[in-house]
Amino acid sequence: MAYLSMGEAHRRITDYLSRFSDAVSSQDAAVLSPLLAVSSNSASLQSLADALNVFQDSNRLVGQLERSSQLAEIVSPLLRCIQSYRLGRFADAYVVLEKAANAFLQEFRNWETPWAMEALYTLALEIRLLAEKADRELASSGKNPEKLQGAGSFLMRVFGALAGKGPKRAGALYVACQLFKVYFKLGTVHLCRSVIRSIETARIFDFEEFPVKDKVTYMYYTGRLEVYNENFLVADQKLTYALMHCSPRKEANKRMILKYLIPVKLSIGILPKQWLIEKYNLIEYGEVVNAIKKGDLRLLRQALREHEDRFLRSGVYLVLEKLELLVYQRLIKKIYVLQKQKDPSKAHQVKLEIIVKALKWLELDMDIDEVECIVAILIYKNLIKGYIAHKSKVVVLSKQDPFPKLNGKPIGS
Amino acid sequence: MQHKHILVMCLTQVLLYHITILQWDTKIPFMVIIYKAMIHLLSKSEEIKIQTGTGYETNSYNYQTSLWNDGNYHSYPYHHYSSYTTSSTSSAQSSATISGNSLYYQQQYNNWPYYQSQPAPIVNGAAGLENTSATSLQSAGYSAEGASSGYPYISNQPPPPGTTSWREDSRPSGMPSFQGKEAVTPYHLNKNWEAVAPGMQTHHINQSSYFQQPLNSTPLPNEKHANEQKVLYSLAPNLQHAASNQVPENFQPPLQTVPLTETRQVSKMQIPTNPRIAPNVGVSMLKTQKESCIVSAATKPAYISVSVPKPSNQSSSEDDAGAITKGTFSPSFCAYVERSFARCKDDAQRSANQSILKQMITMATADGTLFTKNWDTEPLFSLPVDQSSQQSLVSDSSLPTHKRSPTRRKSRWEPIADEKLGEKLTSVDSHSAIDARWGQVEAAEKKVDSKISESKSVNGWGGFKYASFQQQSALQKFGQRPNKKQRFSDTSSVTENGDPSSDSDKEQNLTKYYASAIALANSPEEKRKRENRFKRFEKGQGNQAELTNFRPKTAGGGSMYTRRAGALLKAKSYEDGCNKAVEDIDWDSLTVKGTCQEIEKRYLRLTSAPDPSTVRPEEVLEKALQMVQSSQKNYLYKCDQLKSIRQDLTVQRIQNALTVKVYETHARLALEAGDLPEFNQCQSQLQRLYAEGIQGCYMEFAAYNLLSIILHSNNKSDLLSSMTRLSAKAKDDEAVKHSLAVHSAVSSGNFILFFRLYKTAPNLNTFLMDLYVEKMRFEAVQCMSKSYRPVIPVAYITCALGFSKAIQMDDSQDTSIEGVEECEEWLRAHGAVLTVDNNGELQLDAKASSTTLYMPEQEDAVAHGDASLAVDDFLTRTS
Repeated sequence: MAYLSMGEAHRRITDYLSRFSDAVSSQDAAVLSPLLAVSSNSASLQSLADALNVFQDSNRLVGQLERSSQLAEIVSPLLRCIQSYRLGRFADAYVVLEKAANAFLQEFRNWETPWAMEALYTLALEIRLLAEKADRELASSGKNPEKLQGAGSFLMRVFGALAGKGPKRAGALYVACQLFKVYFKLGTVHLCRSVIRSIETARIFDFEEFPVKDKVTYMYYTGRLEVYNENFLVADQKLTYALMHCSPRKEANKRMILKYLIPVKLSIGILPKQWLIEKYNLIEYGEVVNAIKKGDLRLLRQALREHEDRFLRSGVYLVLEKLELLVYQRLIKKIYVLQKQKDPSKAHQVKLEIIVKALKWLELDMDIDEVECIVAILIYKNLIKGYIAHKSKVVVLSKQDPFPKLNGKPIGS
Repeated sequence: MQHKHILVMCLTQVLLYHITILQWDTKIPFMVIIYKAMIHLLSKSEEIKIQTGTGYETNSYNYQTSLWNDGNYHSYPYHHYSSYTTSSTSSAQSSATISGNSLYYQQQYNNWPYYQSQPAPIVNGAAGLENTSATSLQSAGYSAEGASSGYPYISNQPPPPGTTSWREDSRPSGMPSFQGKEAVTPYHLNKNWEAVAPGMQTHHINQSSYFQQPLNSTPLPNEKHANEQKVLYSLAPNLQHAASNQVPENFQPPLQTVPLTETRQVSKMQIPTNPRIAPNVGVSMLKTQKESCIVSAATKPAYISVSVPKPSNQSSSEDDAGAITKGTFSPSFCAYVERSFARCKDDAQRSANQSILKQMITMATADGTLFTKNWDTEPLFSLPVDQSSQQSLVSDSSLPTHKRSPTRRKSRWEPIADEKLGEKLTSVDSHSAIDARWGQVEAAEKKVDSKISESKSVNGWGGFKYASFQQQSALQKFGQRPNKKQRFSDTSSVTENGDPSSDSDKEQNLTKYYASAIALANSPEEKRKRENRFKRFEKGQGNQAELTNFRPKTAGGGSMYTRRAGALLKAKSYEDGCNKAVEDIDWDSLTVKGTCQEIEKRYLRLTSAPDPSTVRPEEVLEKALQMVQSSQKNYLYKCDQLKSIRQDLTVQRIQNALTVKVYETHARLALEAGDLPEFNQCQSQLQRLYAEGIQGCYMEFAAYNLLSIILHSNNKSDLLSSMTRLSAKAKDDEAVKHSLAVHSAVSSGNFILFFRLYKTAPNLNTFLMDLYVEKMRFEAVQCMSKSYRPVIPVAYITCALGFSKAIQMDDSQDTSIEGVEECEEWLRAHGAVLTVDNNGELQLDAKASSTTLYMPEQEDAVAHGDASLAVDDFLTRTS
């Protein structure tokens, strides 16, 4: 860091302060937002941080601000945050940022118009990002990473400030999405429920009036929640909405949506085209899709084992696991088709022994009881029409449409 | 013109007050800090008690949990009471029951000569009140004096209607002049707070800079304070990250002097008014009052308080100027103040000058220009022409306590006492703010009444100490009472404590108190003592009083209870004050070291702090665990014993292999007994312990954990996160593998696989699976009855659904395999249609059964939903 004269440092700080107070007095969120973006690493904030290192008594300057009583509450911790952030002390930075953000929220509540919404967005984002950084720092030093939790409760307060009636409600969805991100990261997804309820039950504000980007994010997260709950139809609906409304330029976002949409579609019997998988680089699903197409149980299990960590972390593992039944169905259908080619008159009777043999070829060791059980389940879940004759160990398939397609219905419905 | 000026001031302050309320939560830490420091400062003078009373008035409103607040808040009612007694009866001495009271009296007792012998620096009408209350203490002799310090300005104000009668009864001579003041109180308090709040904003900023560079030279010019600050900081050098934030907070006198002066200022200049009285006060008053009523909107202010300069006082302009400037302000500002006083011709002008000065300081502090402004070039303000301009008005009617109607007031004594006390507090506050600095500066400089001032300051510390006596009880009170009730002059507490019974007790305590307080007052090296005391408070081991009576006898602190209380208190104040929370609490001071040598101990849920004599140390606990493991007694006994072991471990904060072993043992026993709630408790503790790296049967319990999620909670995200956490090594573990296999069997509904796994379960996995068997069987039969035609042999079902002990099914077996009867019974109980075929083989009619199957209601169902906990059943199973 080049030597910085006291005067220059002083000038930078007062410059920042005057920009800040001007932005507030002129209610210019476009100017205010970048001043709050601590982690943006913008040149002006970096030079400000350097200045703060040189000029220690910045609080005196803050004290000279107009309307100091209100703004000082925001600016004073904010300056310390900028300084700490630049020094890489994220946990410290987070603590003061939360202070500043709290003060800002107080002010925001007082402002009648939502002019500062952009600035509030910035703060909400910064709080979350900084909390994540702080937690990483705390965890690496063996301390309890709890800042993200703190950020969650702060954001909840912001959400509370916005979720009521009035023009500020438009910002509620953004904060809700930030909250979702925090909760998903913390693994406390059950906390999303109250947020969702507050968004979806409000009749005074139509969902469509929220900004599109927030709606997409919201649908993405609520869709993911439905995946957890295995409500595949609702999940499909939400994720499809997100995909449809997602900005076409945001390839990464589309990929994230597809990551959940593909398993959901698979489990309601809709297979993605190969190009889609390739385009969005979701090859981990390629084998799964192939396994379903081929009725290759071994391939499915392999794919699951191979990408287990990824699937577990994204939360689709349990969904993909359930695809086994589809694979069995396809396998038995294949046997049926082959039998039909050989002897159409006896094709509708599939011996369990043959299925056992087929599975042996796939190097899957299952005895006849297990196979019988699986066939029973397939019939029970409407994947096969027919019945098992226990005595003769034969599956008797229906002559009409023995392997009904799911056609957008989830398994077992 | 001048009226307008004051009016504007008042309005701004009311506004500021509202703003501060809005910004409340962000300000709390700073408020706490400032109050603490205020107390610290004030404690130099003997008025501490009174001062804190005021401080607390405002303080307790928001954070009752803060260390100092508690004590002071608590003491507040007693002040009250004392003032109440003074005003109502001339024999105050006979009506002092509680040491809180006596403390107060003691202070007054000490105050009195000081006030008399030394010219009060600030001419404040309230000082007269001080006199009167002291008077009653001192008995008749003083009362004449108290009355003699006349109040010419008030005399034009008729007594408030609600309060008149009894007051006149109590003090027939010269009383009218008091009444205006006595009615004043609550507004003072509010105002006080109000004034502090804006100051705070700038202050915390300064303070933060101190935190960053503790030894940085501050803009404060006063040598003494600068030095003191450095000294104090060197005591706690790591301010920035210090775990005990309290230390630096307490040691910030230089910073805090400013808010103090504000307080003083405001309390002096404000004249809370009662609209009913207003017309009597004069035109200008009326005007301002109306204004303020509009501003503060909420409720009608009940009283007007008029605090007026005390003309009989011998204060000189030099004194006034010195009082304001000494110790706090820059030389240029001091000069400015002196200039302003120099042009005053009489007392009235002086006091007017003073109040304006104070407003200026408030403003300057609020916008941070106090130290930056060039006071040398600042033009002097114009002095008011008439007296009424000296009265500034405040009505803070937005406070809930003042909603009381006058009639109610009349019928009750307590609220009046309440107000009166408040007035006294505020007025003294203004003195004490000065005395805090004066008591020492002047004593050193003038040597005039050095003796008095010294004893004064020491005594102040005595009061401080006793405030701490009350912390504990205050804490308890706060715990019991909802916060709302504690707003400002809390009527309920007043009523409680204002109960005029047991006067003789009071007297006794009073005498007792005198003795101890005087003893304290005589100690010489006050500064060193002060530091020592602070250290003691930091440790949370300050003398703690008995909860019920406030006698200062329990000085032998350090018992576990007091330690706990102290630490808890500290913890609370941390949480409220500075976001520091749990990690900064000295948990070690809360930890019990057991001494009990009994191996066997019944479990009893703790309702108070554990007693070391009933807590077993680690080695005894180890024996106890062995005893339980080898015991032949039933589960209930073992559970009870294990719970007591767990409790002893917990209170001693033992977290090691033994702890894990105890929980593991208990979890296994609970599983075997089917006590799922207990198992879950142990399991969650084990998760935490394993996560901390303590060795144990991790794999076994990871498997249990998976199983209980899969089979019971069925929470997908829990399952996912549990599975994600499994290491590759864990996935190779037999038990974990088994659990994962169970998962896939359950998720696909593969009953054959499930019951095979059921038969081959390692460890105690079977017991967890047991709880799912019924459900799995029912699902399986439903599935079978739908997918099989026409019949299914019961023998097959017996094998498939795990009724038989055989692992592999073999159809060639004859029908006499074991478990068929049980299976048949079960099937019938669930509505299956059974037939017998030609060979005499029992079969399930699949088609007929598919519509008749049902889940029978559990016969042993219990109200709390967990049949395994039904006592009868439990006893038969476990014995």
